Amino acid sequence: MKKIQPWFGLAARLILGGTLIAAGYLKFDELDKSQMAVRAYEMLPIPLANFLGIVVPFFELAVGILLVIGAGVRISAALSALLMIGFMIAISQAWARGLSIDCGCFGGGGQVPEGEADYLTPLLRDTGLALLGIYLTLFPHTKFGLDKKPQSATQIGEGAHG
Amino acid sequence: MAKSQPGKDNFTRNLVIAVVVGVLLIMLVPTLLSRQTDSSASIPANVSADRGYGVVFNGELTGVPVVDIYEDFQCPVCAQFTQLNGPYIESLIAEKKATVVYHTLSFLGPESVNAANAAACAADEGKFLDYHRLLMMNQKQENSGGWSNNFLASLGQTAGITSQKFSSCVNKGDYLGWVSNVAAAGAKANVNSTPTVFVNGKEIDRNASEYFDAAKFKAAVERG
Repeated sequence: MKKIQPWFGLAARLILGGTLIAAGYLKFDELDKSQMAVRAYEMLPIPLANFLGIVVPFFELAVGILLVIGAGVRISAALSALLMIGFMIAISQAWARGLSIDCGCFGGGGQVPEGEADYLTPLLRDTGLALLGIYLTLFPHTKFGLDKKPQSATQIGEGAHG
Repeated sequence: MAKSQPGKDNFTRNLVIAVVVGVLLIMLVPTLLSRQTDSSASIPANVSADRGYGVVFNGELTGVPVVDIYEDFQCPVCAQFTQLNGPYIESLIAEKKATVVYHTLSFLGPESVNAANAAACAADEGKFLDYHRLLMMNQKQENSGGWSNNFLASLGQTAGITSQKFSSCVNKGDYLGWVSNVAAAGAKANVNSTPTVFVNGKEIDRNASEYFDAAKFKAAVERG
């Protein structure tokens, strides 16, 4: 188990980080759409939604790259998990209120015709990604990362005080 | 305490974190700033900053409905909307029965930006409506290179625009600043899809097919 865990961590890093990079990359040069996607959730005041529409793609890229490289895994993973939980709240409330929107997870977004909204797929995906993020927050020691290894087998964490 | 492994110390890691976060911040901050409304950008004829930088027709009328139309020239549904309701909207303008404001959004990409800029150039020639109609009738595959500035300039000739100023305006992108102001104003107005129509500041009802039933659209405008 001790041997497998860093490999599982590597897989988690690559899946979570890769997804975030893809999501950020597909949005960051279509910021009008990204802002539209956030507004369509009708959850936040318009100026804040517009601000997040610009910031979130860059944020996704940053934590995604750090996760894939394996630098600052614990904090990046924790931030990703929080982001995913935020997305899950947004999607759930849109679903519960019967809004008809595209999740805008990988670009796109905004209102869609009645009955075309799909909330289950993004919700399940974000749940899985949030779990990976939480796992990496607890066990950030992974293969091929830039973070230093823990000093002993019993110690979890990044060993920042080595 | 164990010694650091060479090449895997915190310096490398911290440097990587600093570079990644730094580069993205360097990209993010100008992006945020560029999305502020630039009140010094030159604006085409008949555009009012107070009306979300839209192209205004019959702005001087009072006591008539104000129809705000948000569209993207590359949006296929907008073309359908124009085909269906365009003649009625143009008759509202011609017969001075409503104030009509066109907001040319550009969220579908670079060729939407080109088209919005060209439409602004056409507004300067007093040909916005003709040019608007031509664009909607000549939609291409999105961002396929079809709406190059050369094509957009030649489309102006089809609309009866002959001036040299028009093609220079199209090619130089004289109104690109204005295009981004329109987009920013559309974002502030909470426009989340195109076409979006407000009558007297209130969106008409998408679910009651007020967009794609000509009679219902007419009723929605007249209801005011």
